Amino acid sequence: MKILLMLLLLLQPCSPSRALAEDMKPVDVKKTDKCPVCGMFVARYPDFIAQVIFEDGSYAVFDGAKDMFKYIFNLSRYNPGKSSSDIAAIYVTDYYSLDPIDGWKAGYVTGSDVYGPMGHELIPFGKDEDAREFMVDHAGKSLLKFESITQEVVRSLD
Amino acid sequence: MTFIQKQRNILDVALCSLLRRKGKNLSLVVAYVFVIFLLSSVMFITDALKREASFVLKDTPEMVVQRLVAGRHELVPTAYAKVIGKIKGVQSVSARLWGYYYDATNGANYTLIVHQDLITSPGSIMVGRGVARHLSAGENGTIPFKACDGSYLFLEIRSVLPSESELVSADLVLMSELDFRRLFQMPEGYATDLVLRVRNVRELSTIAAKVVQLLPDTRPVSRDEILRTYDAVFSWRSGLVIVIFAGALCAFLILAWDKATGLSAEEKREIGLLKAVGWETSDVLLMKFWEGMAVSLVSFLTGIILAYLHIFFTSASLFEPALKGWSVLYPDFRLTPFIDGQHAATLFFLTVVPYTAATIVPSWRTATMDPDSVMRS
Repeated sequence: MKILLMLLLLLQPCSPSRALAEDMKPVDVKKTDKCPVCGMFVARYPDFIAQVIFEDGSYAVFDGAKDMFKYIFNLSRYNPGKSSSDIAAIYVTDYYSLDPIDGWKAGYVTGSDVYGPMGHELIPFGKDEDAREFMVDHAGKSLLKFESITQEVVRSLD
Repeated sequence: MTFIQKQRNILDVALCSLLRRKGKNLSLVVAYVFVIFLLSSVMFITDALKREASFVLKDTPEMVVQRLVAGRHELVPTAYAKVIGKIKGVQSVSARLWGYYYDATNGANYTLIVHQDLITSPGSIMVGRGVARHLSAGENGTIPFKACDGSYLFLEIRSVLPSESELVSADLVLMSELDFRRLFQMPEGYATDLVLRVRNVRELSTIAAKVVQLLPDTRPVSRDEILRTYDAVFSWRSGLVIVIFAGALCAFLILAWDKATGLSAEEKREIGLLKAVGWETSDVLLMKFWEGMAVSLVSFLTGIILAYLHIFFTSASLFEPALKGWSVLYPDFRLTPFIDGQHAATLFFLTVVPYTAATIVPSWRTATMDPDSVMRS
């Protein structure tokens, strides 16, 4: 039993699922990386970085979740040749911890008095309880999940 | 090529003219060098200190929470840490134990800090180089500390702290929590202050407001406030030095004023002669320009170099009384050489340029006059 366990442990690093997970890690934003939506340098706003990583390893980075949603909604315009099924991972920056979190699972607060580099923002949170306290502190209007964010929601922020 | 040749010739005449009035010009250069030396010394030391401080303070926590009783800093219950830790946005809260200890026999103040590395080894301490030097104690030596109740605590030096940031660590004594509490009879469950780590600095004001709301007897101090205080202290100190040497500046201004308001009869005659032998007004002005340039540039560069040596090689030995703190343990610090280009340029434009202009203006007045009347007057 012990030997089997040890074998398993040894084998684990090279298993394919692990390799895939490593590909999807958030990228290190380069100084020259620009937001494809607004054209601003992203590395200057580390607190608001959002990332879309494609299966082929290419990526797009944004200076706020709002621009990321604009990009995803209009992928054919910003990145012709890619479709939404090519997206391997989405990362947004948690407001409190400033760590990259899974953008699909995060909660987004709209209407708060915290402004990003592009004005009104969707402020991402990994935990719903964090988001709720934030809404009290910063006059947030609603807490939305990834699926419920529509073009109208994004447009209403501009 | 002819242009450069002409400039060289004019410069040659200018230098000869300067050498003819050796005494006057030499005293001028000495005063000039002295002023530049003082001003740039202050500039160098302030910039270097500020930079050093910003290096040291980079690792300071985003927020410190103190407890106040009757407006005075009091011990804070460590239970407060739990309350504050629940505030969203606070990554971690830790209690700090630190204080000052006055060593009556040596007349020195030490800064005592409880360090995590020593938690398992009560009885041993780590000391800054200043403390070690002052007590002439090395590794494995013991230092007696007089506790609040009058008894003595003998603590063994485990190591002497490296000298890199001696400005800060010279008077430091790191000890275990147990020894610290025994030394000051500090009750369990209390700490000197609480240290907060906050990732998103945008939240600092919200967190500070919440801390005060939850614990009304506390005072949160953010890192920006700490940095601003340090900045003010350094500016104040450099201001003090400036005031002390304002006299030198005045002397220089009088000198420059004297130069600007008139030429000596000899200088006037010289200009008249040059005009008489066929020099044009522009050539005379060019010569005066080179004269002024030679004096001020030589003085400026000498002053700056001397100041550089003074600050970074002799550790600002002239400013020592004004710049060092209240502690008896003076750190034997070496500042990292650093020059703020913008400040140096400001100094250049505030001294060299006005001085050069001051030499040209009166000459221009003389040079435009008829050479005959100039020499007769």
